[in-house]
Amino acid sequence: MWLPDWPTQRLHRTGAASPDRPTATVEAVRGQRRLKAVCPRAAALGLRASQALAQARAICPELMAIDADPVADQAALEGLAGWCERFSPLAAADPPDGVWLDITGCAHLFGGEAELAAVLATLLARNGLNSRLAVAGTPGTAWALAHAAVPEQASVLPAGQETAALATLPVALLRLDPRSIAELHGLGLRSIGALARLPRADLSARFGPLPVLRLDQAQGRVAEAIAWPHPPAPWSERLAFAEPIGTPKDLTRTLVRLAILLCTRLEAVRRGGLSFVATFCRVDDARPAIAIGTALPVRDPMRIAGLLGDKLEQVDPGFGIEAVVLEATATAPLAPPQMALPHIAPSSTIAPDTALADTLDELANRLGPARLWRATPQESHVPERSVRRVPPLVPASSWSHGSAAERPLRLFRRPEPIEVTAPVPDDPPRQFRWRGALHRVRAASGPERIAAEWWRRHAAPPDRPETDLVRDYYRVEDIGGGRFWMFRTGLNTGRSAARWFLHGLFG
Amino acid sequence: MLPAGLHPDRTALQVLRSHLRAPQAGATYGVLRFGDTSVAACLPAGGLALGNLHEIGARGPEAETGTVAAGFAACLLAALPDRRPVFWIAPCCDLHMPGLPAYGLDPGRLILVHTRTDVETLAAMETALRAGMAAAVLGEVGKLGRLPARRLQLSCRKRGSTGFVLRRWPYGRRETMEEATAAVTRWEVAPAPSEAAFREPGPARWRVVLQHARGGHEGAWIMEATTDDAAHPLRVVAGLADAAPAPDRRRLAG
Repeated sequence: MWLPDWPTQRLHRTGAASPDRPTATVEAVRGQRRLKAVCPRAAALGLRASQALAQARAICPELMAIDADPVADQAALEGLAGWCERFSPLAAADPPDGVWLDITGCAHLFGGEAELAAVLATLLARNGLNSRLAVAGTPGTAWALAHAAVPEQASVLPAGQETAALATLPVALLRLDPRSIAELHGLGLRSIGALARLPRADLSARFGPLPVLRLDQAQGRVAEAIAWPHPPAPWSERLAFAEPIGTPKDLTRTLVRLAILLCTRLEAVRRGGLSFVATFCRVDDARPAIAIGTALPVRDPMRIAGLLGDKLEQVDPGFGIEAVVLEATATAPLAPPQMALPHIAPSSTIAPDTALADTLDELANRLGPARLWRATPQESHVPERSVRRVPPLVPASSWSHGSAAERPLRLFRRPEPIEVTAPVPDDPPRQFRWRGALHRVRAASGPERIAAEWWRRHAAPPDRPETDLVRDYYRVEDIGGGRFWMFRTGLNTGRSAARWFLHGLFG
Repeated sequence: MLPAGLHPDRTALQVLRSHLRAPQAGATYGVLRFGDTSVAACLPAGGLALGNLHEIGARGPEAETGTVAAGFAACLLAALPDRRPVFWIAPCCDLHMPGLPAYGLDPGRLILVHTRTDVETLAAMETALRAGMAAAVLGEVGKLGRLPARRLQLSCRKRGSTGFVLRRWPYGRRETMEEATAAVTRWEVAPAPSEAAFREPGPARWRVVLQHARGGHEGAWIMEATTDDAAHPLRVVAGLADAAPAPDRRRLAG
């Protein structure tokens, strides 16, 4: 698709210039202001690009000259490419003033390639954009045909006729640099057909690799790669509507239908999806999306639709939703479930792992996956590091029940300082004050020395003695029955008193 | 109208009597026995009715830390006959796993869920109970309204998972407990001095008060956590004469 007057017509659309007046964009070239792009009305009056502005104003006094803004042009072109995604999911901007659309497999939705092109041209014309469309088997041929077509209608080239169509077109339409084009003209090669008849080795030796590459791309021998902004996921289904929808019930029903379509495809290759993204294409081109993830691969459309439905209230339908796309961004192999015969083994047909995974998925998608875990032991004496979190479906490793060390039920994240009265040197405390309350100690066991792991220890801070990195833990019970786990760091030397902290509580 | 298969001579009154004699709290999912006659006398089904909601609370500083309530709950969870995973849902994740084997509970059975608010905790509890894939679901909740409690009780009955609600206000701001509760039993646990041997603390001991039991009556005991008897979670050391909970005398001053 080629928009010959894109910069000026963009200005007309945004209202920076009125369509009635002739408009041109202006840039400064070597200190002199020259016209860069002219609108059709100005071109009809005789203005051309690269004409000096003063001269242009002399010809046409009511000319509206606006500074060229290629950045805004590019951004708007990408927006236009995004709008074109309603025709095909693969739409990319081709700077400075074209759009690529890959309509392989999309044309039947509109009744044929010519009809698609006609609809697109009509829509563009309704928005005030002149366009020339061409449909062909390769991007290179389509580009050449779009830029060459004189009449204002789209031309559709049947497959396989690229060489014949290109034969009569001028060489300039092969997207070469101007120097090569000038050289080719100098040699008398003006049409692409003449270029194609030359031996390829001589051509590449004389002009470099580009002409041969472009020729091959146009004729379909070499594939051309275009960077699509939204590359399609292989597992994606799309439903578009004639009338925009917006109610939650309709959206839920659409999600169920899409999930059924996607799961039938997944089942054919025995795969299940791990994460799903549903994108809603709104009328005003916003595309809100919701994503869910599951712990195990899943192929049940009701479960997928249910998990997506929980998050549906985050989506704002705006003025309506035109199309919904559901894609499975991660898949994994999934064997078909083993069905149990009901009269032989009357247990549930779903394996219990799957049912637990359902609940865990629901909670994980609602709260966030990092908020569900199982604990496994980690080899470390330091109590803060003795537990490790693993995802909940990982089978739990066993905890040694016969461990001699007694550990508290509640462990504070930061040990709280307490004031302790204790006889020196190693006896457990007699009384202590915690959170303002005084506790008299009735029984105590300990001390248990836990030192910082020497293989992990960084250099000791200079102001703290080495002995601060060991802790002597005491398990203490007060006269009311409360049981505490406290430790002392440092030793009671003459210079500094030891510090006591409360680290945990026993039930 | 008499149900089919019933002897036609039985009057409606006798039918009603037989219905009333059926266990009130619906102990159709099993019962967890304490192994003590005084406890069994207080509870309608002779033990803790599984597949129902039970509330465990505490008073004083324990309302903030929730330690003895957690220990009591851990003993009950360890003795459940169902060996499936247990959900522990709490907004404050300071439960230390190596401390659980002392109460007989294997930490590998726990699936921990860290929520942010009481509302999230209750919603997560309801989801886990409705799925019915866990042996029990325990949630640490501060504010429990009547309607959420009723919904939790219905979710428990639906699939047979036992629900435990630990009343805990981890950030202070203790609110008074509601008078009526939808839970089948309501316990209040306070620490009690243990049997100290050689001036070392003995096994954990608690003063357990059964404040409310649907279809039963109240009681108070001193119970000790024991791992010797796998069937009975706690060993009742002594029964307390005054069934009413003692006023808050835990001043713990010297």
